[in-house]
This record gives sequence, C-alpha cells and structure tokens, in this order.
Amino acid sequence: MEKDTQKDILQELETSEYKYGFVTDIETETIGRGLSEDIVRLISEKKGEPEWMLERRLQAYRHWLTLEHPQWAHLDIPEIDFQDVIYYAAPKQKKQLNSLDEVDPELKRTFDKLGIPLEEQMALAGVAVDAVMDSVSVKTTFRDTLAEKGIIFCSISEAIKEHPELIKKYLGSVVPYTDNFYAALNAAVFSDGSFCYIPKGVRCPMELSTYFRINAEGTGQFERTLIVADEGSYVSYLEGCTAPRRDENQLHAAVVEIVVEKDADVKYSTVQNWYPGDKDGKGGIYNFVTKRGICRQGAHLSWTQVETGSAITWKYPSCVLQGDNSSGEFYSVAMTNNYQQADTGTKMIHIGKNTRSRIVSKGISAGRSQNAYRGLVRVAKGADNARNYSQCDSLLIGDKCGAHTFPVIDSYNPSAVLEHEATTSKISEDQLFYCNQRGLSTEDAVGLIVNGYAREVLAKLPMEFAVEAQKLLAISLEGSVG
Amino acid sequence: MLKVENLHASVGDKEILKGINLTVKAGEVHAIMGPNGSGKSTLASVLAGNEKFTVTAGSVEFEGEDLLQYNIEERSRKGLFLGFQYPVEIPGVTMANFMKIAVNEQRKARGLEPLTAAEYLRMMKEKSAIVELDSKLTSRAVNEGFSGGEKKKNEIFQMAMLDPKLAILDETDSGLDIDALRIVATGVTRLKREDNATVVITHYQRLLDYIVPDYVHVLYKGRIIYTGDKTLALKLEKEGYDWLINDYKEE
Amino acid sequence: MKERLNSTLQAQPLPASGRIGSGVWYVETLADRDITVDAGGDVRMLIVDGDAAAEINIDVESGAKLSILHVVNHKSAATVNIAIAEVSECRMTQVVCSSSDTRVVASLVGRDARFELGGVFVLTDDNQTSVTADVNHISPDCRSRIMVKGVASGKSHGRFSGLVYVAPDAQRTDSEQTNRNVTIGEGHIETLPQLEIYADDVKCSHGATVGQMDSEAILYMRQRGLSLADAKRLQIEGFVDDIVLHSAVEGVQDILTEMLAEKLSKL
Repeated sequence: MEKDTQKDILQELETSEYKYGFVTDIETETIGRGLSEDIVRLISEKKGEPEWMLERRLQAYRHWLTLEHPQWAHLDIPEIDFQDVIYYAAPKQKKQLNSLDEVDPELKRTFDKLGIPLEEQMALAGVAVDAVMDSVSVKTTFRDTLAEKGIIFCSISEAIKEHPELIKKYLGSVVPYTDNFYAALNAAVFSDGSFCYIPKGVRCPMELSTYFRINAEGTGQFERTLIVADEGSYVSYLEGCTAPRRDENQLHAAVVEIVVEKDADVKYSTVQNWYPGDKDGKGGIYNFVTKRGICRQGAHLSWTQVETGSAITWKYPSCVLQGDNSSGEFYSVAMTNNYQQADTGTKMIHIGKNTRSRIVSKGISAGRSQNAYRGLVRVAKGADNARNYSQCDSLLIGDKCGAHTFPVIDSYNPSAVLEHEATTSKISEDQLFYCNQRGLSTEDAVGLIVNGYAREVLAKLPMEFAVEAQKLLAISLEGSVG
Repeated sequence: MLKVENLHASVGDKEILKGINLTVKAGEVHAIMGPNGSGKSTLASVLAGNEKFTVTAGSVEFEGEDLLQYNIEERSRKGLFLGFQYPVEIPGVTMANFMKIAVNEQRKARGLEPLTAAEYLRMMKEKSAIVELDSKLTSRAVNEGFSGGEKKKNEIFQMAMLDPKLAILDETDSGLDIDALRIVATGVTRLKREDNATVVITHYQRLLDYIVPDYVHVLYKGRIIYTGDKTLALKLEKEGYDWLINDYKEE
Repeated sequence: MKERLNSTLQAQPLPASGRIGSGVWYVETLADRDITVDAGGDVRMLIVDGDAAAEINIDVESGAKLSILHVVNHKSAATVNIAIAEVSECRMTQVVCSSSDTRVVASLVGRDARFELGGVFVLTDDNQTSVTADVNHISPDCRSRIMVKGVASGKSHGRFSGLVYVAPDAQRTDSEQTNRNVTIGEGHIETLPQLEIYADDVKCSHGATVGQMDSEAILYMRQRGLSLADAKRLQIEGFVDDIVLHSAVEGVQDILTEMLAEKLSKL
C-alpha cells in the first residue's frame, strides 16, 4: 500500500511536471531531426516571426523540395541525409567558467599563438567577461556610437520584428531562395544572423568586427546575413574569427547578401576556421555558403577571405556589377591540410558600363587535401569597357595533395579586356634548406614562405586580423612538413 | 606650310590647348619647349589628328588646306609625320610588311605607282642606313622588344621612308643615351631640305646642339608665351623657365 | 584546299588502322582511325576536315616523332586522341575557320614525352566553334605547350576549353597553356582554361585573355598612313600569323596564310 502510494506520487509528479512547463522543452527534444513544413512553421513560431516571414520560409522550403543536391564541385561529399539534421535548437547556454585557468589548455595554446588579447580570449572561451572588463559598457558605447549615426546593427531576428520594411525590401533580393540548393534550404530554416544598415552618406566609424567579436555567440548552423549600404555610405565588416570554432552541427549553410547602393563602399572580410576534422579526416564541418553582393552605380564591394577550416568548403563570394562604373574585388587565401576539401572562388558578373573587377586567389594545399579555385567572369552585352584581372596561384606542400583551377571567362562585349593567369608552385627543398641554414626551424620557414605567398591577400584584411591570420596560416600547417 | 591660329583643344571637359598660334614655313626648324604638362604632346597629337582630343576653336592650315577636316591617316598621306614619344609595340606585325603598306599609301596619295618588291627592299636598306638601324630589326615586329634607342631610331627610319613635308618629333630625345641622340639628330638633319620643315618638341637643350632651330617657342599652360631664336634654348637651359613664367603670371 | 595540301606535300592516304613508320600521310575521308606510329618513326599527318564526325586514335611509340596539321574548314566534329610514349614527341597545328567542334586529347604516357599544340580559330558571321585541348600528364618529366588564339567577329561564338591534368606521380611536369582571344563586333568568347594537379614538383601555368584590338597600335599605324581597315587587318594577321609560321608540318605555310587571309577578309 505504501509502495503504491509512493509510486502514485512519483507518477503524479512526473505528469504534473510534464503538464506545468516542461512541454516546450520536451517538444524541442522531440522535434529533433528531420525537416518538414511543420518544422519550418515551428522555427518561425519559436522565433516569434510575423506571418509574412513564415510565408517566405514555406515558399523556400517548397522550392527546396524540388531541388537536387549539386554535384558540379570538385568535392567528394558524403551523402547528407537531410532528414537526419536538427534544424532548430534553442541556443545552448555555454558553461560559464570563472577564470582562464579553466579553459581547455589546447584552446588556450591556440589563443596564445594567435596573439588574441586576454580579454577577448576570455570572452571567446566563455569566461565571465564582466569579471575582467565592463563588457556591457563597452557594448553600450558601441551601440550609442552606431545609433548616433543612424546605423542599424542587430540580429536578423530582431530586424525582422523591428525593421520589417527593410527586411521585406532587401532580404532575398540578392540571393533569392531559387538561387541554389543551399540558398533555398537556408531561406527555409535560417536560425539567425546579422543585419546591418548604413544610412545614406554615413561612414561607419568602426570596423564592425570589433563589436562582433565580443558579441560572438553561437550563431547557429544556418546563418543569414544582410548588409545594406545606402547611397554613398561605407562599412567594413568582419565575419568569423581566427579562434578555432567547434560546433556540434556538422552541416552549415550560410547566406550572406550585400546591397551596395549608389557610390557606397563595402569591405567584407572573413576568417573561417571551423573545425576541419582530425588528421584522419574524421569529423569536421561541411560548410556550404552562398555570398553575393550587388553593386549599383559607382559602388564598390571588396571580399577578402582567409579560409583555413571546415572539412568541406563550398563558397563563392560574388559581385553583381549592375551599375555603371561599379567595381568588385575578391581576395582569397584558402588553405587545406590533411583530408580537407575546398572548392572556392568567385563570380564577377559585369552588367553596367565601365565596370571593373579584380580577383586574387591563393590556394595552399597540404597533406592529402584537395583545393580548387572555381571562378566565373561574365561580361554582358551592354557592359562596355569592362575590365577584369584574375590571378590564381596554387602552392602545393607534399605530393599527396591536389591543387586545381577551374576558371570560366565568358565575354559578350567586344570592348572587354579580361585577363586570367594561374601558376603552380611548391615549397622547395632548396628554400627550406636555405632557411634552415640561416637558423630557422622548418616549421617557421614554411610559415614564412606561406605568408609571403599570401601577403597580397592578407594585406587586404583589417590590421588586427591580418596579424592573427598570418599566425593562423602557420598553425594550420603544423605537421604538414618534415 | 603650317598655320595654326587660336587653336583650342580639350580632352573630356578639360581644356589643354588655350589658343595656340604658330606659323611654320618650308625649310624651317622650330623647337617647342616648356615645362611638364604645358600641352606640348597634346599639340602634337591634335595636329596629327588623335581623336582623343576635341578641337573646340581655332583653325589649322596645312599646305593651303584646312587640316582639321581630315582624319589621322589622311593627314599622314598629305605629308604630316608624327614621331611618337612612346612608339607602341605591335606584336606579330613585321616592320617590313607594315612599312610597305604605309609607303605605298603615301605613293598612291602622291599619284605614284606602288613600289616593286626589289625597289622597296633597296629603299629599306638605304633608309635604315641613315639612322644606323640594324637591318635585322626591319624583319622583326613593329617596335616589339626594341630598346628605347632602337624605337626612336625606328621612328626616324620611318620618317625617312615616308618623306614627309612636315615632321613633328615629340620628345624624340627622351630616353636616349648620347650616341643614340647623335645618331637620331644626325638622321633628322640629313633629311632636312628646303621644301620640308621640322617641329621638334623637347625638354632639353642638348638635342638642339645637333638640330639647330630657327625658332624656339615656349609653351606654357596651353599657350605659346614666348618665341625666340636658338639662344633662347641656351638661356632656358641655364636659367630654367621661372623668369618667363613669372613674367607671364604678372601679365 | 585538301588537294592542294596533299599534293604539295605528296602525302599518301592513311589506312583505317594499322602501323605506320615514316612519311607523309593524309586522312582521305574523315572517319574513325586507329593508328600506331612505330617506335623511332617520323610521321607527318594531314587531317583536313570534311562534313563529318570522327575519332582518330594515334599511339606514338617510343622515340617517334609525329607532326600533325589539322585544318578545319567545314562543319565537323573531330576528336584526335594521341598517346605519346617515352622520349617521343608530338607537335600539332590546328587552323580552324568554320563552325566545328574539335577535340584533342594528348596523353603523355611515357617519361620525357613532349606535346605541343599551336591552334588558331578565326570566326565570322554566325560561326559556332568549340576547341578543346586536354593534356594528361601521366608520367613524370614530360612537357606540354598549348597556345590557342581565337578571333570572334560578327555574331560568332568561340569556345576554348583546355584541361591540364597532372597525375599523382607525374613529378617534374612542365606545362604551359595559353589562350588569347580577340572579339570584334558582336563576337562572343568563352574560355575555360583548367588545371587539375595531383603532384607537387611541377611547373604548371595557364593564362587566358579576352580583349579587343589595341587602339594605340591602330592609331600608330594610321599616323603612318594606313587606312583603318588595313590597320585592323594587319593587327589581326599579326595576331594569328605566328601559329601558321610555326606550323608543325612545314612547306604549306603559304596555303594556310592564304586560307586565313580569305577568312580575315570577311571580318
């Protein structure tokens, strides 16, 4: 009898807990894997989105159902079961650490090598930052400065609620959900991301990176970024950071859209260092990114990327040079080691008259990795006097890796002048011997040579990141030579 | 032979020549000097008919005809030669082939029969000797891989081949060592006759040691601000342009 | 054209299959062939397209030398597969003046093998032409040189695609691939120069350009009295001539120049 009562009480407790507030949590767990219209509805609901946003997501989802996974890249992609992916998880609370001593020593070692300032190390590692610096006031200072200029910088979820007119006008205007398989998927299930609006004639007074880094929380696997630079404005934006980022989610599919209005100037820099998998090629992030900007009359967009992470990278930051006299640039360093694979490059679509573009791509392959540059330069019929210069270099380290170059140049206008050059080189025994003889370790020598090779691109990064990126390249190559 | 009156010319919205007056008679040698950016090369280009520049006012008479009505090749065939400051390289087009067409066009304009292959070869040989141009160069592509000196010699060689009435030599002396300068200048002097004329655009007096001018003009800010005889060039060499420009500023 | 080339070179008809040693051969009608050039042989071969599609497979045995002149003056689709053995050499010149789809695949299968291709296509009116030149570096210490020049005028469409593949063990590969194009009028050029490299001790480069005629050069020539038309023609001739002048099969440069001149007069 006593036993029964006990049992009953326990049972009652369980049911009442279920009844009084654990419903959501349990449901979150049970959403678990898989994708369906219901899941899309649920994501939208959880984010408290307006009806029109849900409609957009559903439209994208229905379109995605009709698409097949793309096969054209020079990548060996294991079959991805899209029903085995978790598309929504409430942001996990990071375990708060009390001091840097509690940080994983491996992570700490990397931070030190990268030379990241102590305060930022703590923030990135999840140490309670308030203990060492008043991050709230720092953030507030940033926010005040930006607000004073009329700059909007917030999460995309916030923007959907607070600035629906801008979101309706611009979201999906550069990368429509019909663009490709992953753009459709992202449009249906994007978790969060950033929105940035620079008003007419405003020059953003700071690298948005500084703010971003301190603010760097888990942005989720389906990140969505929208940057709108209104007429005559300027902004420099940095995505990602040099610190290694680990994530439970293997599949990442981000979309970045940039609208560069008349005479505006946007500089977008990326440092991508997601977990690349171990030395045997186990694990690692699959990173399928669609990045594109549209340039109106006289506008300028510059992409700079340093790609060292991810097991698979599929990424082509592109410029649609729609307006007359607009210009685009793409500067890239892509490094692959061990079993990493990268297929990355750019598209420069010349539509307006007197449009200019420049491509500098530096691939570095080591270990058993495969590294491909893929690019398209297209000059439309009306694009009089278009100019492009492309330089695509490959550096091979070791004889088990691959370096590939797949450019397409397509000109419909006889006044176009387009040039493409590519070279392949290796780090020679002679170079290493020479450096060794002058007292450099082989590792330092390789770092030195690689950085010299990538210098032109690294120089395009904002100052503080250029230094870190240099170190990052050397670290990513550890163990690849000798 | 040449009469330039109140010539104004611009590129885009920018006016570069602001009223040039210049008269050149047969048998004369004129030198045009002036600081950088004064419009010397523009004057040469406009007279030759470079379509990059727009003539906005004024007139140019050449051999009693309105020169401005003709395009660049018609002006050439009427006997106007421009020696380029930076002779362009034309890959794949051999000097021999190029000059043959040019010479025969010139002859056609003068009512003469085209040259036979033998006559042409003889002419090439004879004229290339004037500037001591290595005859091997004439079998190469136009200016391709030529040294700075060879390019300038090649300009004077072409001048000899085409036998112009008026030759405008734009900074022919720039980038030449003293031997090449002497050869080029001697070539020009040997081509001089009573029925032709030469306009030499230069920065330095040294070329005028070899090509003695009858008149020296100073071009400044798109106008000829001073004209003198050969002693003017020496004075400019010693004292620079400041005294002239200052005068001009006060004006 | 075909008769003139054949008689000038006193070429004999190429069998449908079999081995050949030395001499000058021509492909009588464009049809599939399987030919082996004997070790140490020295063969010159003329392929002048008819209105047909065909695949010609040629094995060049060790120490042999093969020179091919491929003239495309008709609408045709010819694929030439050449396997080049150790210390042997293949030089090829391709002159294309019509709508066509030509494909050359050269595989350097033995050490110290050499392949060289000089190609030119001149397109006018509504010509649709695709030129593919792939090189497979299978063995180490091989060398390849690809130079293809294209002119697309009128409403024509010219496409160049070239893949240089370097196999994992093909160390000390030395490869250069160049594609230069000029567009005139509404001509459309598409170029895909590609590298796929799996060995590290290699010297591989490629370059591709699409451009217009050099206006400075045209101005220069006009100053010397050439008409605009002459200046343009001369420049285009200068652009394409060196391919013909360095023809793999000698003795027919005049015929080729004449053929190109006729095509260029339609620009």
